[in-house]
Amino acid sequence: MNGGSPGCFLKFPFPATDNESVDDLTREFLLESQEGLDRMERCLTDLEVRPGDAELLGEIFRSVHTIKGTTGFLGFGRLEALSHAGESLLGQLRDGKLMVTPEIISGLLALMDRLRGILRSIEATGAEGESQRDDDAMIAVMAALQTGNPAMVEAEPPIAEAEIAAVVAAPARRAAAKRPRAPKPRAPRAARRVAPLPEDGPVSAEEAGPRGIEDARDERVRGDAPPTVAAAESTPARPRDETSEPPAHGATADSTLRVDVDLLNRMMNLVGELVLTRNQILQATSADAGFALLGRRLDMVTADLRESVMRARMQPVSHVFSRFPRLVRDLALGLHKQVRLELEGQETELDKSLLEAIRDPLTHAIRNAIDHGIESPGERQAAGKPAEGVVRLRAYHEGSHVIVEVHDDGAGMNLGRIREKAIERQLVAAARAEQMSEREVLQLIFLPGFSTASSVTNVSGRGVGMDVVRTNVEKIGGKVEVDSQAGAGTILRLRIPLTLAIIPALIVRSRGQNFAVPQGTLTELVHLNAGEGDSRIEWLENAALYRLRGRLLPLIFLDRLLHQPQREAATACDIAILNADGRRFGLVVDGLAEPEEIVVKPLATVLREIGYYAGATILGNGEMALILNPGAIAQSAGVGLNAEMEEAPASESQVGLADFLVVETDGRRAALPLETVVRIERIPRSRIERAGSRPVLRFDGALLPLDDAASCLAGDDPEAQTTVVVCRDGARQIGITVSQVLDVAAGRQLAEAGTETVADGVTLLHERVTDIARPGDVPPIETSAAFEEATEVLR
Amino acid sequence: MKESTTNTTRQVCSVRVGDTWFGVPIAHVLEILGKPPTQPVPLAPHFVGGLVHYRGEVLTAVSLRRVLGMDAAPHPEDVLVFESADGPFGLFVDAVGEVLQVSGAEHEPNPATLDSRRQTLFGGAWKQKDRLLVTLEPERLAPMRLAGALAS
Repeated sequence: MNGGSPGCFLKFPFPATDNESVDDLTREFLLESQEGLDRMERCLTDLEVRPGDAELLGEIFRSVHTIKGTTGFLGFGRLEALSHAGESLLGQLRDGKLMVTPEIISGLLALMDRLRGILRSIEATGAEGESQRDDDAMIAVMAALQTGNPAMVEAEPPIAEAEIAAVVAAPARRAAAKRPRAPKPRAPRAARRVAPLPEDGPVSAEEAGPRGIEDARDERVRGDAPPTVAAAESTPARPRDETSEPPAHGATADSTLRVDVDLLNRMMNLVGELVLTRNQILQATSADAGFALLGRRLDMVTADLRESVMRARMQPVSHVFSRFPRLVRDLALGLHKQVRLELEGQETELDKSLLEAIRDPLTHAIRNAIDHGIESPGERQAAGKPAEGVVRLRAYHEGSHVIVEVHDDGAGMNLGRIREKAIERQLVAAARAEQMSEREVLQLIFLPGFSTASSVTNVSGRGVGMDVVRTNVEKIGGKVEVDSQAGAGTILRLRIPLTLAIIPALIVRSRGQNFAVPQGTLTELVHLNAGEGDSRIEWLENAALYRLRGRLLPLIFLDRLLHQPQREAATACDIAILNADGRRFGLVVDGLAEPEEIVVKPLATVLREIGYYAGATILGNGEMALILNPGAIAQSAGVGLNAEMEEAPASESQVGLADFLVVETDGRRAALPLETVVRIERIPRSRIERAGSRPVLRFDGALLPLDDAASCLAGDDPEAQTTVVVCRDGARQIGITVSQVLDVAAGRQLAEAGTETVADGVTLLHERVTDIARPGDVPPIETSAAFEEATEVLR
Repeated sequence: MKESTTNTTRQVCSVRVGDTWFGVPIAHVLEILGKPPTQPVPLAPHFVGGLVHYRGEVLTAVSLRRVLGMDAAPHPEDVLVFESADGPFGLFVDAVGEVLQVSGAEHEPNPATLDSRRQTLFGGAWKQKDRLLVTLEPERLAPMRLAGALAS
């Protein structure tokens, strides 16, 4: 955001600078003030909702007071004068002599922006910069607000204006077309509308400067000003009992401390080293029982340490969320809409660098939601909705990801318009567009070039630079999904990995070398036995293809791609089916190793330029592996974006949709709710034992009851492999034997005809009714005739 | 060269590639890794010998043999670690010898008959009693610099 200098600190959205012109004391002051202002901004937007909250007022007052106190000491005159003016106004509010109005909030926010601007200037140059006249105007606004007097003071602070311009830019363009002037939602508007009392006086908004305020005040005194205002009249109000005000010390101040991010990175590296050393020690000492015990202990301590260091890099998403109340407020004012922002899951934690990376995409998404999603109050009421729109920002964990949702209850996207637009922009052929499912059509908004700045004004749907949002999120290994229902709203979902530094990856081998494939792009694995390659890999001229459930999938041979010596065609190989940004292909490798959580290490520029590698890593066994970049590989091999996008697993929070694992048991298909699936094991039959008549499996040191309704365990060959899906049923785990795991697919709920009741036990998978096997039903898995129908249309 | 005009002595680390001995000013050497495991990088520029693991980081290492157009080494090689503008990098050499004292007076510039590639890589040589020690300046061997030099 603000010039990311390397030495940035945690808990500090403004990176500290290494600038020589700023001494330690000042840097400390900048940090503290910045935190104070952040707190103040949060409180101010809260205050607007709960105007009478004395605690909030007290906190804001203390923040400003602290800044004022320190600035005087450090000799920053502008800061002191400005914060003094704000403090006076806040003093009035705190003492109940003034009531909180939107105008006052706007004024204080503008003041805050001004203070921020000066802090930035000090950070960059060591000096406050010169802007005496603007300051005077701002101070005058504060004074005017104190007297509750209307005054039009052109005191739009330059910083605030720039910020607002950036924020409102796109929406404003449309707004500007209708109104003669772009909205200026803050100081000027506030000043123009500060008119709580009838005797607005002779001061016309246009001509009032500091001078005008003076006049107005005189008049107020002469007139029948209410006592509260009269009491506040003496300006500039002295801050009350300054000494009795406790300095702003948060309760957490004593239990936390700032740590340089570089130091944390270094610690992370050292922990990585330690892990490797540990592995070597474990290998070297495995023969000695005494050492083995010590080794295990070292193992545990190292794991704990690694966890702790990783946790130290985590910050709650509230660090990013906290700026949005202000954004929403300003946008809503500027667009004349009523919008309420709801924040949920603020305590959810993310790696600091990821948090920074989603700041812009989220801002973009919220701007879209308010500009294009939420309708005007009139339209909303006409549609039978409350005038106030709701934008809900929600963060929560899902597996090894954090999901951040931006949900608005606006008009939803107009699929027809999206389709037209995409055809018009030649992003998709007309014939193809007609066949597209709703889901596919929605995906079109992510195509680069779908919407540019100029189309914002004529597309009634959404899509302001959604490709940019997607690119940014994918850069950090995340995904973006969108769901929309006409008239009911839109959900944009960002799926973010927990940390940037550590990603789950599948380790593949090619010609004796290790390569890591990020798990996020992996959809499934296919093993070809020796000799099978010839028959199952088909060739179209020199393009290799694999028939996956009836569809042709382009294949890329990793050894050929990397110009490695080629393997003999007859040897066994594995195909990793990858989906990189909608490009689906099979990567043919020699073999697979265990999946691993890998620590991503950057590569030197000369190697990055090759394009196929996203980094390198050191594996648990001490070997190194290059991390492949499936997107770049697909692109360079010419794998196109294709219709496979529709197969992106639907999210479970979409109404009535849930993900299922599709399995084949005894020739029939059944669906297992994906959230209950713990893991899939392939084991030899000899491992299965019996407790009474019941087949059981020893699994992770516990006994796992097996459900064998499909009779997969029949047969005598103890070496034959069988597939067991381990499922969670409340606290217990059970295993279900299946002949084959086929797919993961989204199923839709079905209601019984004429009722609102959702039919239990069946789901709609790819337009076929399929039975759901629930672990709780065990035993047995009920099958029905419906099964036979749910067939290979799956994928 | 600075060395030829002043009589100061400096310490150099002697390294061997093939039959040639080189001297690297010891002040530039961050660390010496003895025959570390290496990972080749398919499709990398020719001068890259591979990746080595260095203090939790993955280091790109330049192969001096490859830079000089020689065949691959028959045995595992040692790696010197240097600092460059683009971060640390490694240099594969056949073997690392002892640390020697050399004086500026012993230093001679590159002979005019040296081929042009070596002219750009070598910084002259120190005359020793029984052999020549070719001056290597690590900054000339940084991957970015080599990439630029070989591309042009």
